[in-house]
Amino acid sequence: MPQATNCYRRCIESGSRPEYTNLTTAKKILANGISEQEAIDRAKQGDAECFAALYGLHKRRVYSLCLRMVGNTAEAEDLTQEAFLQLYRKIATFRGESAFSTWLHRLSVNVVLMHLRKKGLPEVSLEQTLEPQNEDGPRRDIGARDNVLAGAIDRVNLGRSIESLPPGYRIIFVLHDVEGYEHNEIAEMLGCSIGNSKSQLHKARMKLRDLLKLSQAQRAARR
Amino acid sequence: MTCAEFQRVLPYIIDGGGSAEEQQHLATCQVCSDLIADLRYIAEAAKLLVPMEDPSPKVWSGIQESLEREGMVKPARKHF
Repeated sequence: MPQATNCYRRCIESGSRPEYTNLTTAKKILANGISEQEAIDRAKQGDAECFAALYGLHKRRVYSLCLRMVGNTAEAEDLTQEAFLQLYRKIATFRGESAFSTWLHRLSVNVVLMHLRKKGLPEVSLEQTLEPQNEDGPRRDIGARDNVLAGAIDRVNLGRSIESLPPGYRIIFVLHDVEGYEHNEIAEMLGCSIGNSKSQLHKARMKLRDLLKLSQAQRAARR
Repeated sequence: MTCAEFQRVLPYIIDGGGSAEEQQHLATCQVCSDLIADLRYIAEAAKLLVPMEDPSPKVWSGIQESLEREGMVKPARKHF
């Protein structure tokens, strides 16, 4: 497959993703004209070139997920590496019951969660993070009107604020609001109840609201 | 219904809507409706966050080295 080899090499060496027609289309066309599905099928047979192509196609999304969940570049890179190593080992078990990107995404989430559990972060133990925390409750808003955020969030600010969330909050927020997982899926992944997932997400959003308002006030003070 | 009572159930109703009593409170309370507007705005803004960065090339090098070490690919083929 010499022609394919060159295409994949270019993608990997340049750090760019292989080109395909449209991110939203199910059939992604890689640089040499083969579909993502063909690349998956060949990678399942051990075709390393196609695995490289899949890496090029999905590395950004997997890395971004890891980075948002752990908030640390070096850790996120290690986890990205681990996720793709697991992909290489497990791709033969992919049966196409869900989209490949969904399957890989879930695999990557599991890699991150496993890592955080191994680190023993108390925040990842939901029993701890789901306990009411005085500083994060909604009571401050009760009865007092405050400025609304509408129109005041920019992407950079939001990204920074997410990074500064406590890990337990950050994980739930990223999984639900950024990555689009449902509460029942999060509950299953994290081994908690759906109610706990909802409660934790609410606290995360409240904390983010505080952080964003603080940043808004600081910007206003500088003007 | 008070604001405190409303905000206690808010995590469970924000996505699906609440009871008639909760809806009534929301319709008449500016504090709680501002709060909901903020929380929904944050959730909507988060959906628009897109992956922005690629991992550094050393990630791919690390993958290659690991697979070669495990004998899953041939070492001679540097770029697979």
